[in-house]
Amino acid sequence: SCSRAKDVTMPAKLPVNFFSTRSPVIDLFRGQLDYADHLRQDSEIVLYFFYAPWCGQSIAAREEIEHVASRLSDQVLFVAVNCWWNQGKCRKQKHFFYFPVIHLYHQSFGPIEYKGPMSAVYIEKFVRRVMTPLLYISSRSKLLDFLSNYEPGVLGYFEFNASPQPPGYLTFFTSALHSLKKDYLGTIRFGVITDKHVAEEISLVHSGSVYLHRHVNTSLIYPNDIMNYTAENICKWALENREMLIRWLRPHGGKSLLLNNELKKGPALLIFIPYNPLAEIHPLLDEITKVALEYHNCNKSQAAEPDLQHLGDTDSPAFDSSVLDAHMKLSETFSITKYPCCNTVVLPQWHSISRTHNVCELCINQTLGVKPNKVHVPHCNFLEIEAALDSFYLQEHTFFQVISNTIECSNFLSFYSPFSYYTACCRTVNRNFLSFISSEKTIFQTPKVAFSSHGKKDNTQHSIPHIEDRNCFIPDLHISGTNITGLSCRTNKTLNLYLLDSNLFWIYAERLGASRSTHLKEFAAIVDLKEEVHYVLDQNQSLVGSTLENFIKNFSILYSPLKRHLVDDSSVHFNEQRVITEVTTNTFHDTVFLSEKNVLLLYYAQWCGFCASLNHIFIQLARLLPPDNFTVARIDITRNDLPWEFMTDRLPTVLFFPHQRKEQSVKFPEDFSVNLPNLLKFILHHSSLSSSEPCTKECLHKETVLQQGHISHLEREIQKLRSEIGALHQAHDQLEAQLSEARREEHRLQQQKHTLEKQHKTLQLHSEQLQATYNQKNQELLEMAQKLQELADASENLLKENTLLRILVASREGKLQSKDEIKEALQSEQILSEENDVSVSTTTATLEEKRIDNIDTIETEHSSGNRTE
Amino acid sequence: LGSFLCLWALRLPAGTGAAARGLDVGSYRERVRAMFYHAYEHYLESAFPYDELRPLTCDGQDTWGSFSLTLIDALDTLLILGNVSEFQRVVSVLQEGVDFDIDVNASVFETNIRVVGGLLSAHLLSKKAGVEVEVGWPCSGPLLRMAEEAARKLLPAFQTPTGMPYGTVNLLHGVNPGETPVTCTAGIGTFIVEFATLSHLTGDPVFEDVARKALKALWKNRSDIGLVGNHIDVITAKWVAQDAGIGAGVDSYFEYLVKGAILLQDKELMSMFLEYNKAIKNYTKFDDWYLWVQMYKGTVSMPVFQSLEAYWPGLQSLIGDVDNAMRTFLNYYTVWKQFGGLPEFYNIPQGYTVDKREGYPLRPELIESAMYLYRATRDPTLLELGRDAVESIEKISKVDCGFATIKDLRDHRLDNRMESFFLAETVKYLYLLFDPDNFIHNDGSVFDVVITPYGECVLNAGGYVFNTEAHPIDPAALHCCRKRKEEQWEVEDLMREFYSLKKNKKFILKRASDNGEGESAKDPEDASSEKGEEKRNSKKRSHSLLSCPSQSFNSKLAVLGQVFLDNT
Repeated sequence: SCSRAKDVTMPAKLPVNFFSTRSPVIDLFRGQLDYADHLRQDSEIVLYFFYAPWCGQSIAAREEIEHVASRLSDQVLFVAVNCWWNQGKCRKQKHFFYFPVIHLYHQSFGPIEYKGPMSAVYIEKFVRRVMTPLLYISSRSKLLDFLSNYEPGVLGYFEFNASPQPPGYLTFFTSALHSLKKDYLGTIRFGVITDKHVAEEISLVHSGSVYLHRHVNTSLIYPNDIMNYTAENICKWALENREMLIRWLRPHGGKSLLLNNELKKGPALLIFIPYNPLAEIHPLLDEITKVALEYHNCNKSQAAEPDLQHLGDTDSPAFDSSVLDAHMKLSETFSITKYPCCNTVVLPQWHSISRTHNVCELCINQTLGVKPNKVHVPHCNFLEIEAALDSFYLQEHTFFQVISNTIECSNFLSFYSPFSYYTACCRTVNRNFLSFISSEKTIFQTPKVAFSSHGKKDNTQHSIPHIEDRNCFIPDLHISGTNITGLSCRTNKTLNLYLLDSNLFWIYAERLGASRSTHLKEFAAIVDLKEEVHYVLDQNQSLVGSTLENFIKNFSILYSPLKRHLVDDSSVHFNEQRVITEVTTNTFHDTVFLSEKNVLLLYYAQWCGFCASLNHIFIQLARLLPPDNFTVARIDITRNDLPWEFMTDRLPTVLFFPHQRKEQSVKFPEDFSVNLPNLLKFILHHSSLSSSEPCTKECLHKETVLQQGHISHLEREIQKLRSEIGALHQAHDQLEAQLSEARREEHRLQQQKHTLEKQHKTLQLHSEQLQATYNQKNQELLEMAQKLQELADASENLLKENTLLRILVASREGKLQSKDEIKEALQSEQILSEENDVSVSTTTATLEEKRIDNIDTIETEHSSGNRTE
Repeated sequence: LGSFLCLWALRLPAGTGAAARGLDVGSYRERVRAMFYHAYEHYLESAFPYDELRPLTCDGQDTWGSFSLTLIDALDTLLILGNVSEFQRVVSVLQEGVDFDIDVNASVFETNIRVVGGLLSAHLLSKKAGVEVEVGWPCSGPLLRMAEEAARKLLPAFQTPTGMPYGTVNLLHGVNPGETPVTCTAGIGTFIVEFATLSHLTGDPVFEDVARKALKALWKNRSDIGLVGNHIDVITAKWVAQDAGIGAGVDSYFEYLVKGAILLQDKELMSMFLEYNKAIKNYTKFDDWYLWVQMYKGTVSMPVFQSLEAYWPGLQSLIGDVDNAMRTFLNYYTVWKQFGGLPEFYNIPQGYTVDKREGYPLRPELIESAMYLYRATRDPTLLELGRDAVESIEKISKVDCGFATIKDLRDHRLDNRMESFFLAETVKYLYLLFDPDNFIHNDGSVFDVVITPYGECVLNAGGYVFNTEAHPIDPAALHCCRKRKEEQWEVEDLMREFYSLKKNKKFILKRASDNGEGESAKDPEDASSEKGEEKRNSKKRSHSLLSCPSQSFNSKLAVLGQVFLDNT
């Protein structure tokens, strides 16, 4: 039975429903792929969800699919197929490397695999795209909408008057579906124009022509003559030639080089915004894309939107206004959102030799991000100006190197209000100070002040009526060297712009230092992989077009005021009771440099095996060192960035910052093992406790402090020794107990030994006795053997006698026989002699028997003697 | 202590990243706990005192000896799950019930990692579990004596001309006459963690000595290109199987070189590993996979990935090679996604299982790596692997009596076996992955002070080194029982120096450290005179071996599957 149990196996459990029976999703949990194919005939759009019942990702996606299905079940057929069960058709025919797999069919076209995020909104958006791969552009306004979108768009013009299905239309339609196969994010939008007049707006004349819209570069028309007009080719052409001003990054979760490839192209601006693909409008996204457009619009003399300009020439009044609107929107982005209130500041001379004056125009701007409705008519508040000046002087090193004739502008945050920032535009003035002022004035006196603020919570209201104010200067940034328009071509620090959905990828923002406390998941950072730095848009400022513009500008200018962002582990809690002080980026300076003590700083990382196994040594060290003079601190270097000069490339690293000479930090030599004596020696060598100078009063004081420290240390030692004594006593008791136990045991053993010895003696006696008896027996045996020998001899003699007798008898018989006939009378006498012969033979037989018996007894005795031995 | 742990909990908001992707860490932790008890209780009910539970027939069998193996192996998992009372009960059961004086042929390797390792970790954790300990603890105690007894039974196997041990030993009679001299590499090089711990705790150097001797013998017999094979003859030191790789037959040898280096602060072991690591990267690594190659020529012999190899990323993360670790881990994870487990062998070019090697005995290696990497990166992808593992194991292998080995990953047929490592490792690592506040993850912010008759010791300050059967060893305990005694007087003298006004020059670290490096040439004499007896002078120069590189800038963004290539 044992071996049988060993061979027991059990087939996998039979598949059961994966979706609930009430679900709008048809669940073919036995993997009936043939039936699934059959179902496809009933519906124009079908979504297949291939799953494995054990797969965590399938289980997680199940809910999302159900959610989508509940919204689209009237138009789309949702079929789930268990593609794992090995008896099912699906498993036998398909070979998937991962689950779930989502396939979509638009009638016979398919499968289109969905590879986007497993989130209901994204899936639904994609399904909707498959349902209507082409947008129908019926009017000029729709055309404008289509073209103003930041994502590349492909337009086809088809004349439906001639035939219900003009030549090429089907191919175009298929290419739209085809593009979804390649480009699962659906960034290229496809539209179809049916009206001749609308088509003319983008210079399409012939039915069947295909047009790729581009914002910055000239738009293209599909070269029918060079490339074959096939769905694949159109799709390929569009993908190759599309313009990517700003890109969504949507890592799929598997191993990927996406960020590696994108970030290696150069510095990148990553913008994190919450994104709902199903939402009708995306005001924040629109704003960001406008900045992106401006940034890439290098040909400044021409309008940013040549096509729109072209459209604007037409006479259609409705169209005109919409174009105007668009231009208005654009123009808004040119000016920073501002609350204009300015003051001219003359900076002190930096160098005595220099005869230049630095003049700065300091303006207070307010983006009332959270309260868009509470916009007041601005007026120059004296206190605000003063606060701004304070902040400005604190930041003035930013302008230290400004010796050019251009005007450099920077934005910096007010320390007093999270919603306002200051703009300072400075220039160096040589002789013609006045001319500067005058020139500025002409520029500053713009009659109109555009003010826009974008509500974060109320996204529908994204424009505020213009406010006119002629009393204040506005630093018009158009003339400065840091105009955003076309900046990408003018700077040598060109940024690539990327968008990330913070609902899905907020973790990257956190890694770059997005504060955890914020509930608004908006964040922007410039990452420069090559320089290994990143800058973060101040999180106290709301993420709007203008702040983003400033951020880009500040990055691009020559002496960038942006500071390398140091990610800080804000979740560290400071506890006085800790023996080792936990240092973070923010507390580094205070703990190490401002403290009045010698500081031993350990750089570590929790994951590094060599660090973690030293924990106990540093704890011991911290407990030993006099706490009044020494701090043992450590910093988790993977969660806390430090200024370059304090970075280290190996972990663990131990640095010692001696009191009074903090700038002369010393590194614990790498080739010494990190143990208590070595650390103590290292500290002793470098600590500033030693004082060989003659004693002053101060020194005496120090000495007493030191002695007190010593006393407390000794007291601690005594305490320790006491507890040690306690432990020793305990151990002593334990030993005592064990000893007495052992003694008892010994005693017992002794007794046992005695008894054993006695037993031994008796046994010995016994054996001696046995030996004696053995000898005796042996003797007896020998005697017996002798006797036997004698007996044997005797018997031999008897035998001889017997034979003699027989011979005698025979001779007698012979004599008798001869006499028989003669002496018949003597018959009675003959009988007598016969009787005599019989008696003789019986005696010999008994004798022989006796001999054998004797041998037997010798043998038995011998063997018994053996046994006793 | 409570408040410390509480603060620590706040420090690591593990759920933040994962929450966005809908992974509830707490609920998965509870599911893992339920898994443990489902298996553990059925073992006690149906299989104890046998070694293992047979989950399909609901009975028990002896597999690696006859010492209630599953119970010994699962003991510290109980404590990690926080079940103190059951831990205490099992400790007393073991003290009474386990006997190593038995006529059983036992695998030297398995007995060491499961029994000796399990008993050692239970011994070191017993105070934390509220077991009444002896005064001499952690340097003495009943569980330590049991571990020592078990280890002594293994010592006869090391009596070979090369010092490399036999694979099997009879616990009563020693090495059987006619025993095969062929032992796998891991069976030779997987002793240093347990044996050095034993030597440090008990004071008997014999264990560490034999373990070191075996390690050195392997090192001496590596090929010219720096690789070791799979099996070797321990008498003649001839390689019998010449496949070199990081998986079955070799795996824990490399693991123990690193873990031994960490546990003992031993540069020599680390330098051995780094040499191997170079050769492994040169010859076996292709596209973040590690293949099998001929140990002398370096030609690829088997393009397979083995389930056992999945420990490698975790090991790499311990020495700071997190980027490479993550890249390899993501490769391995795709195999899991394909089958719901890792087949013993996976043919990489074919993308499918290898004949006769389709099973998955619920091995822990990939989950182990996920736990280590999660410590380093907090990447939610690693929690997703944990989620997948819980779902797969529950859906596929859970039966009424426990969790059954998957015999064939292609159709998920089950086998009548539940290896003891399921409770010792798989469940433990899963639980630790979902429990970032567990005491095992202690980063040194909490610790215990223990007064021993020999002085005061700081213990449980984190940095636990897991043996290859996932039994944690506290490095501070090793220090407590040996090094501390050696250092005590020196430290005392130095402390006096701190409070004296006139500095006595003889204590000063002579090396002019202000100049940084570049003076190491004249080091050895200086250093040796100062440091008293440091074991090997030759090791001194390369102390930086015992360190990790700090993570690169792009590691900030290397999460959710993103990997970065080196610029070099």
